[in-house]
Amino acid sequence: MWKWSSLVLASLAVSLQAAPLPSVLTAKCLACHSEKTKASEFVVTDLAAIRKGGKKHGAAVIGGHPEKSPLLQMIKGDLAPRMPLGGNLSADEIASVETWIKALPEDKIVSKSDWRWPYEKPVKPAVPTISNPALAHNAIDNFILAKNPAPAPPASKATLARRVYFDLIGLPPNPAELDAFLTDNSPKAYENLIERLLNDPRYGERWGRHWLDLVRYGETSGLEGDGAIGNAWRYRDWVVEAFNQDMPYDRFVLKQLAGGDEHSKTRNNYAPDIQGHIPLGYLRLAPWDRSNLVADEVRQNYLSEVTSTTASVFLGLTVGCARCHDHKYDPIPQKDFYRLQAFFNAIQVENVEVPYKDEEFEQRADAQIKHLQALLKDGPDRKELDKFEAELLPKFRDGRRIAASLRPRNVEDVRLEMRRKDSTLFTRAERLRHAELKEDADRTLDAEEKAALDNYETEMLKRLQAADVEVIAKRFEVLTVEKLRGEIARSTTKIFTPAERERHKELSEKLDTYRRRLGRWQPTALTVKNVPGPPNGPYLAPTHVLTRGDYRQPAEPVEAGFPSAITGKSEPAVIEQDRYRQFPTRGWRLTLAKWIANKDNPLTARVMVNRIWQHHFGTGIVATPSDFGVNGDRPTHPELLDWLSHEFIESGWSIKAMHRLMMNSATYRQSAENPKANDPENKLFSRFSRRRLEAEEIRDGILYLSNRLNLTRGGPSVFPALPADLADFARYGRGGALMWETNADESDMRRRSIYTFQRRSMPLPMMAAFDAPVFSESCDRRSATTTPLQALSLMNGNLVQEESQHLAALLAKEAGEARTAQIRAAFQRILHRQPTPEETDRFAGFPGSLDALCRVLLNSNEFLFVE
Amino acid sequence: MSNFSRRNFLNNTWLGLGSLALNDLLAAEAPLAIKPAHLPAKAKRCIFLFMEGGVSQMDLFENKPALVKLAGKQMPKAEGTVGEIATFSAAPNRVIPPIAPIRQHGQSGRWLTDLMPNLAKQVDHLAFIHGIKVDNNNHGPAVYHTLTGNQFPGSASIGAWVNYGLGTENQDLPGFVVLGDPRGATIGGNGVWGNGFLPAAYQGTIFRNGDTPIVDLHRPESITPKQQRDELDLLQWINTRHSAARSNTSELDARIAAYELAFRMQSKAPELVDIKTESEVTRKLYGLDDPTSEAFGRQCLLARRMVERGVRYVLALHGAGGDRWDDHGDVKGRIPKHCKEVDKPVAGLLEDLKNRGLLDETLVVWASEMGRTPFDNNLVTDKPGRDHNQYGLCVWMAGGGVKAGATFGETDELSVRAAGEPIPVRDVHATLLRLLGLDQERLTYLHAGRYKKLTDIGGRVIKEVIA
Repeated sequence: MWKWSSLVLASLAVSLQAAPLPSVLTAKCLACHSEKTKASEFVVTDLAAIRKGGKKHGAAVIGGHPEKSPLLQMIKGDLAPRMPLGGNLSADEIASVETWIKALPEDKIVSKSDWRWPYEKPVKPAVPTISNPALAHNAIDNFILAKNPAPAPPASKATLARRVYFDLIGLPPNPAELDAFLTDNSPKAYENLIERLLNDPRYGERWGRHWLDLVRYGETSGLEGDGAIGNAWRYRDWVVEAFNQDMPYDRFVLKQLAGGDEHSKTRNNYAPDIQGHIPLGYLRLAPWDRSNLVADEVRQNYLSEVTSTTASVFLGLTVGCARCHDHKYDPIPQKDFYRLQAFFNAIQVENVEVPYKDEEFEQRADAQIKHLQALLKDGPDRKELDKFEAELLPKFRDGRRIAASLRPRNVEDVRLEMRRKDSTLFTRAERLRHAELKEDADRTLDAEEKAALDNYETEMLKRLQAADVEVIAKRFEVLTVEKLRGEIARSTTKIFTPAERERHKELSEKLDTYRRRLGRWQPTALTVKNVPGPPNGPYLAPTHVLTRGDYRQPAEPVEAGFPSAITGKSEPAVIEQDRYRQFPTRGWRLTLAKWIANKDNPLTARVMVNRIWQHHFGTGIVATPSDFGVNGDRPTHPELLDWLSHEFIESGWSIKAMHRLMMNSATYRQSAENPKANDPENKLFSRFSRRRLEAEEIRDGILYLSNRLNLTRGGPSVFPALPADLADFARYGRGGALMWETNADESDMRRRSIYTFQRRSMPLPMMAAFDAPVFSESCDRRSATTTPLQALSLMNGNLVQEESQHLAALLAKEAGEARTAQIRAAFQRILHRQPTPEETDRFAGFPGSLDALCRVLLNSNEFLFVE
Repeated sequence: MSNFSRRNFLNNTWLGLGSLALNDLLAAEAPLAIKPAHLPAKAKRCIFLFMEGGVSQMDLFENKPALVKLAGKQMPKAEGTVGEIATFSAAPNRVIPPIAPIRQHGQSGRWLTDLMPNLAKQVDHLAFIHGIKVDNNNHGPAVYHTLTGNQFPGSASIGAWVNYGLGTENQDLPGFVVLGDPRGATIGGNGVWGNGFLPAAYQGTIFRNGDTPIVDLHRPESITPKQQRDELDLLQWINTRHSAARSNTSELDARIAAYELAFRMQSKAPELVDIKTESEVTRKLYGLDDPTSEAFGRQCLLARRMVERGVRYVLALHGAGGDRWDDHGDVKGRIPKHCKEVDKPVAGLLEDLKNRGLLDETLVVWASEMGRTPFDNNLVTDKPGRDHNQYGLCVWMAGGGVKAGATFGETDELSVRAAGEPIPVRDVHATLLRLLGLDQERLTYLHAGRYKKLTDIGGRVIKEVIA
């Protein structure tokens, strides 16, 4: 076990040109520490092995720091046992090792106990005074200019408009909007634009998506089968709405961890608001191995996932590492992982019916529900299927009868005959007796009951076998349409033709689709409850530390508690409960949520303002937004981060206030070019970081440009078309059901990407090519790769092919027949600027159609990047 | 083709750079550019044959006379020999003997079922690892564990790691190709060949059946090649101007190059999947003349064509839906069928690679996500079946750098689990990486507070199977 004071290597770089090993190591240590002997798993044959060290102390040498190297400490006897065992080295020999370690390239050392900054409450720093205050628009600029006195010049108004639109609503401005902004010469024009976009409902769709990335939002279970997990979309809509309403962030956190877990300190029988179950969908988004029969394993995996995701999303702590062992880098002992997990121990995974709150939406949903119910009850497809089945029924009964006449009569025949009310073979009493026996056997699955039934049926079978064919042929009349469905679904059926099977399948699948659609519109929320607890059930089972994270190896029991790295102590948390302890399983999650969503928590505000900053400036002040630990990046502007976190809390945890603050800074309004600064990675924020559009911005943006984006908000997810034969890969093993549905309405395929059904095992190819995340793990930063598959997707894919035609038609209507006017309109709409004369010439000389010109512009870097 | 050639573009670029400088620039920015291996290695490419469902190790690759002796009897619980049995759907029950005779073959005297007569002829090329342990006893997590090193979705797959570490040799084709079973998707979905936390450029590209192997590969029929080239020339013209007016343009320039790559891929990829050019002899070698082995034969033949053209990593999947190696019932009917589906294709692949001199530099791996139990889990019918066994996985390797004929590890006498220390899957991963010249400790990516590795806490390179 390491201790808090133990050292870790932050730099693992190994220089291969290091001095040769001291000969004493070979002479005196090799006997026990060779590749073969490997005592304590420590080998001294080469530097790499020595650096790797043994199982007890880790790295045996720390370059440049002999006094901190376990190797030297042990040969000197400072660290027991003194080495080599049973003999001491001479002073010279020890000195040779010491000199050697000193000469090694220096390893950067971070002590676990030194890594304190994120765990201590920030003090609001004074805004620095700067030599060039005229350049600053607000305090942010003072912090930035203090480190970089040479900012980039301000971006042009058109560039800025494009930037602000994509940043806030994920869509480009349309020509009229752009024009309105460019011609607005009031000093408040820019502020007003930001204000207008913050109040645009499309803002929530853009910023909600950032949040969904973090909470690994998906709508299927992942793993085997990858079936739908339920109406996750209600959580998605809640998130979008929370951003639009500027819900205070502390409340936003509290709701997702503890909605529905509230109690009243004074009132008896307090029932939490049922709407609180929707944000709890957050706790249900973990992938779930539903075909695993080992219940304990599934439960433990679930709790682990929720624990690690919660810590990284809300606190920027990577506690997941501590599931199996103490965190190697951060001061998070394994025990703390399970103390944190214990807060979630009362969770009972269950869906709850939560009525729609929004009346307008309720009407929309009701209309859909009624429509689908009608379709299922007596719609044309239902009628057609009923008719078809009615037609098939005589054939089915006949088929069974003929098949039966060719084989000896068996128990099935007895059962059928027993169900005939007009049976002449069995009396009513016998039929009742049989029904009773069968019911008992089926219900109890008891061997004795089964034997009783078997005996009775055997006896009756004798009578049936002796009976005349004509007497009993009628028994097949009781065969129902349900039995028919079973038969026609069998690929081995001898009664139905392949054509009949195909037709039946097609008709039934239509109805199945309606059933699934109906389920998606019904107001069931994906959520959790608490286990009942006394008096209705037992107390919570204790949480144990699990050896190596294995659910089969419980070690010491632990109580719920906050991470000791932050609180400095490892006492159990005081669970806040109702006065009478009337609901003893309530309040666990609430206690954790209140501790996180708290102005005294040193991480919560910092982590969130850093995320907001990252989405505006390309990189966070801490570039690893979900890891404020030793392995994460150091903040480039720690004072600014702390100042912002105070501003955030003082604003009432208002995310929109942070947008205003950041976007009104001169730093945000810089151009992407800064010839004066030497800052290749833009660590000083000395220019605007040019960024490639994200997958959603590309898809939504293109649809928006062609005026075809369907801006309907909220509701069950939709299914844009898949490339033709990719459907093969959407089909799953068991049952072979297609897990990608068609939409009722074509225009649903053109909804914003946030409303696309998020199937974990199969993201849309175009979205995946442009780095949309794998929805199985929290994603705190999108990558922006460049691949030929992206080029193929935009050159040949349906989206650009179709939308370029619509776009061309639109432009032709706007600009008329003249090609140069069309080119001007195309540049204006897609790139938000006028073409240069040279560009006009080159584009006018292009032999292709206007569609083709639109395709070129939609593929251009100028469209695909924001600056 | 138009007069706009790539070379002209590179030489006359608005950046005013020579073609060499720009190429370097593009290489630096191109995620799949070749990177030097950490360590010397013979294998340059890898074909990973994945048998989904859990292959029965004792029916195919192990000689267990005790099973014959105990056939039909209750599974014994002898302390020390059987150890912990992880069952999935049934308690240990009557023992099922191997469904077909197992014999020794080749110089190495390897035990192999009679159900794989063609593979038997190649057996001296193989090195076996027995008694491998997977973290989970159910398919979904076990497939993720064997193919991404982590039983939970979200991690990078082996192929993604290999491309991240080495890049790929042929920039006109994807570096990591997935050849799916035409009968349907794999159980874990696309995540098992995903990039996970690595950049998207490293994800596997599914090659589909039919003549459009890659999504959006073909230009729409309404556009002629000349028209597309014209469009591309105009695009590159405007992109080059855009780039020239800016600084820090490596990302912009990489995209310019990516369009040229994509354009070339349009002609290269269809050629790649066009197996009509293969001789009758070759087609027969892979079992394409037999409907049972035709599908996987095609996958194996494509795999060879890919490594031949410098694709770094090919994942060929066998088994889907009800037709996978998940033989809970009717082992006697099902296993021979699976064997027949893959025997000729796999043996043909090894033979063909050898004849073309490619086997020395190609690593071929056979794996599944778990093994199976010696006892029956299907007491309902008279068709016995075997249960999941997360301790019984058997993997073999062949080709570049592999010690042909070697065996490492052993299961106990009833093939329940390793006789000695179980071999964690990460050891197999470490070995695979080592054979390709990658050091698992150096192949890292900082994510969520950790330097992530394929082998998680680090595996042991199984030197016993390395030449």
